[in-house]
This record gives sequence, structure tokens and C-alpha cells, in this order.
Amino acid sequence: MSSVEALDTIGPLGQGYKYGFVTAIDAETAPPGLDESTIRFISAKKREPDWLLDWRLQSFRAWQKMAQPEWAKLRIAPIDYQAATYYSAPKKKEGPKSLDEVDPELLKTYEKLGIPLGERAALAGVAVDAVFDSVSVATTFKAQLAELGIIFCSFGEAVQEHPELVRKYLGTVVPQGDNFFAALNSAVFSDGSFAYIPPGVRCPMELSTYFRINAAKTGQFERTLLIADKGAYVSYLEGCTAPQRDENQLHAAVVELVALEGAEIKYATVQNWYPGDAEGKGGIYNFVTKRGACRGAKAKISWTQVETGSAITWKYPSCILEGDDSVGEFYSVAITNNLQQADTGTKMIHIGKNTRSTIISKGISAGRGQNTYRGLVRVQPKAQGARNYTQCDSLLIGDRCGAHTVPYLEIRNPSARVEHEATTSKISEDQLFYCRQRGLSQEDALSLIVNGFCKEVLKELPMEFAVEAQKLLAVSLEGSVG
Amino acid sequence: MSDIRTGYIEAFQKQRAKSREAARRAAIARFGELGLPTRRAENWRFTNLRPLEQRLFPPAPAGTVPAATLPPLYRLGVPSHRFVLVNGRFAPALSDMGDLPLGVSLRPLAESAPALAPALDAPFLRESNPFLALNAAFFEDGFDLSMTDVVAGEQPSPPPELDRPIEILHLAAAANPVSLHTRNRLCIPPGRRCTIVETFAGSGPYWTNAVLEIAIGDGAALRHIVLQDEGKEAVHLGHRRIRLGAGARYDGFTLALGSQLSRQDTIVTIEGERAECLLNGAYLLRGSQEATIATLIDHAAPGSATREVFKGVVADRAHGVFQGKIVVRQAAQKTDAHQLNKNLLLGRQAVVDTKPELEIYADDVKCSHGAAIGDLDENALFYLRARGLTAAEARRMLIDAFAGEAIDLVADGAARSYLRRHLERWLAAREE
Repeated sequence: MSSVEALDTIGPLGQGYKYGFVTAIDAETAPPGLDESTIRFISAKKREPDWLLDWRLQSFRAWQKMAQPEWAKLRIAPIDYQAATYYSAPKKKEGPKSLDEVDPELLKTYEKLGIPLGERAALAGVAVDAVFDSVSVATTFKAQLAELGIIFCSFGEAVQEHPELVRKYLGTVVPQGDNFFAALNSAVFSDGSFAYIPPGVRCPMELSTYFRINAAKTGQFERTLLIADKGAYVSYLEGCTAPQRDENQLHAAVVELVALEGAEIKYATVQNWYPGDAEGKGGIYNFVTKRGACRGAKAKISWTQVETGSAITWKYPSCILEGDDSVGEFYSVAITNNLQQADTGTKMIHIGKNTRSTIISKGISAGRGQNTYRGLVRVQPKAQGARNYTQCDSLLIGDRCGAHTVPYLEIRNPSARVEHEATTSKISEDQLFYCRQRGLSQEDALSLIVNGFCKEVLKELPMEFAVEAQKLLAVSLEGSVG
Repeated sequence: MSDIRTGYIEAFQKQRAKSREAARRAAIARFGELGLPTRRAENWRFTNLRPLEQRLFPPAPAGTVPAATLPPLYRLGVPSHRFVLVNGRFAPALSDMGDLPLGVSLRPLAESAPALAPALDAPFLRESNPFLALNAAFFEDGFDLSMTDVVAGEQPSPPPELDRPIEILHLAAAANPVSLHTRNRLCIPPGRRCTIVETFAGSGPYWTNAVLEIAIGDGAALRHIVLQDEGKEAVHLGHRRIRLGAGARYDGFTLALGSQLSRQDTIVTIEGERAECLLNGAYLLRGSQEATIATLIDHAAPGSATREVFKGVVADRAHGVFQGKIVVRQAAQKTDAHQLNKNLLLGRQAVVDTKPELEIYADDVKCSHGAAIGDLDENALFYLRARGLTAAEARRMLIDAFAGEAIDLVADGAARSYLRRHLERWLAAREE
């Protein structure tokens, strides 16, 4: 309980990491190490059908032949994949039927995080498929969504109840052997979220998941699959916090989005995992593969991310624009402070005619942080009339950090129009002086200027997320201006 | 691929070069380790080296310089100091160095090489560029321009600006595949200024592998204009290293028109404070030409300004690549660096790959880059058609304006009109 007391003594918008506490819960944990038996253990634990076990094993064999990628501008301490634990589930007796049955420890944790559950969820208008470590414990609003035919459940549940949908779409956007971390995820993924929006349905609420890494030494391998059928619309929120600890934790998630003809998916992330301390000790390794496919004409996928956490971020949410007139968007704010490293960006693959994409990326480096935008815009020969606009701005705070921009533009159709702009600058003394003169503290002035710098991205976030994101920016940059 | 590697090693064993034996051996051994780059190497991912992979280009043997004439097309048209290389070797008959001012030396590298030996060999072998290693193994000649400090005393001190531009022509004529490895040097001492116009041209199946080192001293300035108009079957690899001292200025322009495969690597290191680097150019490609412009501008000292503009016209099935990197080190505060790459894509199968890159470790900087790719503006075409121009004339005018805008960045009048003439020629040939 000392951790709880410790939390109480931490002021609002922490001097330090607000969510750094560990919940004492008995986890049912797989022994450390990774081989085929680990995968069979996970699959058996989750009572998965044979085809899924085979799919996992295939992925594992592919992964064994791959090497960890080294092309990113990141310094990654060697990861011992055999030392990690690949399955950890909160103990459950019967499975909770209502909030009363949920482990009170868990509820407390959520309370600290401010996750609206039950009635609070209803008031906030958010349906939460809360993921605690690896297994979903509570899902709300199911009935309301079910009325519209929307399926929103944990991935494990979807495998049991909607195997035909899972089987049809799983791995079609991010194939098993897509990259090292995606292959690892495909082999050992524990749980995640699944959503299916039937044709013509507009999902009436923001779907949301809070991820939280808990048990020590547990890599998290979330698997999310979202399908918006013809003409459907869904907005999905993902927010992350993680407890403070000293060892690096690996997180290799895979998110697949499928938008059929005329469908629209908005996917927003606020990532605030533990970034390590000021000396770079600890922190999460966030190696994520996120990709969406616009499978039909006029489909639209929009990624918005606010990345403030993690020791190392390796993440490129991408759009495959197959359908004619489909649209891809990427809005990103990435902050690196202290010794954080981020190599993040997007890929826009234009395949269909008149496909359009927009990329707005804002990178902020402070302390000794290294922040890289890496993006690809590819226009295939048949993508007549494709358009892309890219803007990457970097802000440097302090003279020991780095901001890097690595765009790739690969154009194979003469009717394409592709524009890329990037700037790098620091916060000007004039701006700071102006704010200080009007009575703002140094930190408030910085926060104001940074929020202005990120405005184009933050305005893409749903309101409640935007508020949280603004606070996060302020917390993340604390102490960066002396 | 491995046959090609062995091919060059065998060609090395047959060559009869007398100088720099140990250095040559080390270089060919290094090439043996490296082999040709594959597209898995990030720096070479866009460059299609097939012409070099499919065919061996043995080094051109000494003493077989074909009798060549100087095509009027490649004359600058103003009085100059002219230095001509044919098939990688100094051709005195075609050269006309005139009276070089006091303290200026322009001579074949074969003459100065023995004195320069360690400086020529040391730096490149540690690098993982196999073409630099091959160059070190095979080069025998090139041009060497240096300006020594004038002896103090009775001598009148030299004017800072060289009286005439220096014209360097790299001509080639080959009946069978040959490779031409030249090592060239330009050394501008503090406070002096000069203009160099370099031209590469030729015919037949040859491979130019030219390395040029440029050192610009404190407060010195160089205008460096390059026309790459190699023959249709040629492969051109040009590698430039430029070092800038405090307050030095480099103003470079490359117009790339020729060869089936070309790649120009330019690496600028800003070593002194408040230097200025202008690195501009244009590439016009058609048929199935492949061209890569790769630049790295490394700011290691504070207060420098960099402007980089490259414009590409890529027609038919051609493939144009721009890989530009700007690095600002922590010490290089107050750097002001801007880079721009614009491409006109004119063919259904034309391809452009561009990777403008910024790597910044200092906070008090102003850096930007931009890249744009598109075809001719429909509205502009319509405007010209409405005024009675044919479609072909309208297109030509727009392409001319697009590429001409880049050439306008050339400050030297004679060099600018020289490049314009070649642009006109390219446009005229396109219409045929």
C-alpha cells in the first residue's frame, strides 16, 4: 500500500510520473522464455481453435528467421526475448458479471487513472473495453452497441464468438511476417480489442480502450482488429499509462484497421507510458505496427497520435489506399525529453485513383531526447490523380537534443501531386519574453507555445482526449527550460 | 556480381601502374571486401546499378589516348585556362592553359601525385564505398589546381580573383568497355577566389569514376559549375568532397543531362565558422536514363548558411533520385540551412524517388526542406494554348522555365549561358 501513499503525496500533474504505481494482483503467468510450447500454452489458456494456434505457430517460425530491424535512428539495448514472460492474466474465479465482482484492486487502479467505468462511463459517454495486462476484465455498453449490431469486445472473446470475422480479417492488413515485431506479436499476442461496425451504421459513441502494463517483466502483445463495413463510421480512442519500474519493458502491439467502401475510421492514441527516469533508466520499449487498409472506394482512415511516453518509440501508423477516392490522414505529436528516443511517422501507399493523403507531424525534442520523423509516400503507377501533402515541423528545446526528418517520396505516376515541407526551429526568446512579460511563468509560457505549435494535431482529437493531451504536453516538458 | 568483383581484381593484377603500389593493393583488397553496393544499403537503395553489374569496364590502359578533337559544343566561349583530359589522362594537345597568374598551378595529377601520396590515399579506404576503393586502386591522372601563397617581399601580391575561369574537360571515346578513374584536386587558399567550369562528355561504352577533392580556405570562394553530358551508353559516377574554412564560400551547380546511369555524390563539410554553401543543380532525364543526386552537407561549425535547390525533369521511362541530407552538429549553432527538391514527372512510366533528410543536434538553428513532385500545370498549359501556342510549344516553354529557374542560380554569366545552351539543346532534341 505504500505505493498508494506515495501517489497521494505527489502533486497534481506530477513532479514526476503521475501514474507510477504497481497494483498487487496475483497474476497467472507463463514461465519466462519463448518457444513453441509457450505459444501452445497461450493458445490453450485462451481455448483457441486449432486454426489460430497454427497461425500463431506459423508466425513464430517466420519470426525465428527474422532479425530485429536496425534501420531506425534508435539506440536499443539488446533485448533478451527468452527472459521475458509472454503471458500474464489477472486471476479470476468465475469471471465478473458486474462491477461488484471485479477485483477491487483493479477498480482502484482504474480510479486512479480516471477511467470511467459503469455509470461514470455512461456519463462520460465512453464505452471501455479495459485491458488490464492481457485479459479484458470489464466491457461496458455492450448491450447498447449490440442493438445496432456493433460488435465491440476483447479479441479473445471475438475469437470465441465471431471466429468467422476474425479469421476473415486477421493478418490481412499486417501479415504475419510483415516485420520482426509484428511477427512476434502474431505468435504470442495475448489479447486486445475487436470491433466490427455493420454496413451503414454510425457508431454512436467513441470506442475506447485503456491499456495498462502491470505485471513485472511482462511484455505486452496487444492485438487490435477494427472493421468498418460499407458506409460505417467509428471513432476509436486508445490511451496508455504504465506503472513505474526499472526494467525495460517490451511492448509490441499490432493494430489492423479495415475500412470497406465509404467507411470511415478515426483512430486516436494518447501514449503516456513510462519514459524512464531523467537518467534514462527504465521505461517502455514501444515497438508497434499499426496499419489501416481502405479496401473500398471513398473509404477513409485517420490516425491521430500524441506520443509523450515510452523510452523508445518505433511506430509508423500507415494507410493503404486501395479504393479509388480513398483518404488517409496522419496527425502526430511526438515528444522526447530526457533520454527518450522516438522514431515515428507514417506510410501512405496510394494504389487507387484519386487517393488523397495528409500528413501533419510535430516533433518536440527537449533534454537529450532524439526525435525522428520517418515517413513514406508512395504513389503506385495506377494511382492516377493521387495527392499528398506532408508537413513536418520540429521544435528543439535545449542544445543537447536532436530532431531528424527522414521522408521518402516514391512517385510512379506523373499525374500525382506530392508536396513535402519540413522545418526545424527553437522556441524564440521573443515569444517567451512576450509571455513572461504578461505574467506567465516560464513553464506556463512554454506550455502555451508548445500547445500552439501542436494545435493542428490536437484539434483532431476528441474533446476529452484533447484536454488530457494538453496536460500531458505540459507534464512531459517539465524541467526542460531552466 | 561476384564475377564482376573478380573481374576488377584480375584487371588490377594485369595493370602496370608503377606508383603507389602499397596503396593500390590496399585499395583493391578493400574493394574485394566490399563488392558492388546492393540496394539493401540505405545509401544505394534507389540507385539501379545494373549497367555496372552486367558488364565489366576494365581500366583504360595507359598510352592509348585516342586522338580527339575538342567539340565546339563544349567550349565555354570566353577566354579561359583550359585543361583537357581524354580517357582519364591529360591531353596536352587539346589543353590551353595560357599564362597562369603568379602562384597558380594547374597540372596533371600524375605529376603531383608522388608528392601528395599519403594525402591521396589515406582518407577514403576506411569508408565503405567500393567505388572510392576502385578509384584509389586504379587512378593515374586527373587535374590538380592549387594556388600557393605568394612569397612575401618584392613580388606584387596576387589579385584575389583569378583573371579567367578555368575550364576542365573530361572527354571520353571508347570502342570497347573501359573505366576511367580520375583523381582531381582543387585547393583554394585563404582569401582567393576562382571559377571552375567542368564538363564531362564522350561517346561509347565507358564508365567515368571521378573523384574530386576541394578545399576552400578561410575567406576563399569557389564557383564550381559542372555539366555532365556523358554519352548515351556511359556510366558516370562523380564523387566530390568539399571542405569549407571560416567565412569560405562554395557556390556549386551541376547540370546532369547525359549517360544511361549517373550518380553524383557531394559531401560538404563546413569546418569553419560563418561559411556559405550553395549547392544547386538540375537533372533532365529521358528514355530509360537513371540519375541519382546524393548530397550531404555537414555543418560542424557555427553560423553558416546553406542553400540547396535541385530541380528534376523526368520524362519517358526515366528514373530520377534525389537523396539530400543536411546535418547540423551540436557545435553548429545559428546554422541557417534550407533545401528544396522539385520534380516534373512527364512520362507515364517515369519514376521519381526523393529523400530530403534533416539531422539536427543544435537548437538555435533555422532549417527547412521541401520537396514537390507533379506534372505540368494544366492551367498554365491552357493559358499558353489560349494565346496560340501549340501544345508542344507550351510544354517546352514550361519545362524551359522550370529548369531555367534553376540555371538562373548560376552567378557567372559565361557559365550560365553555357548551361542554357545545353538546356536548349536538350529541349530541342526532345521534340525530334
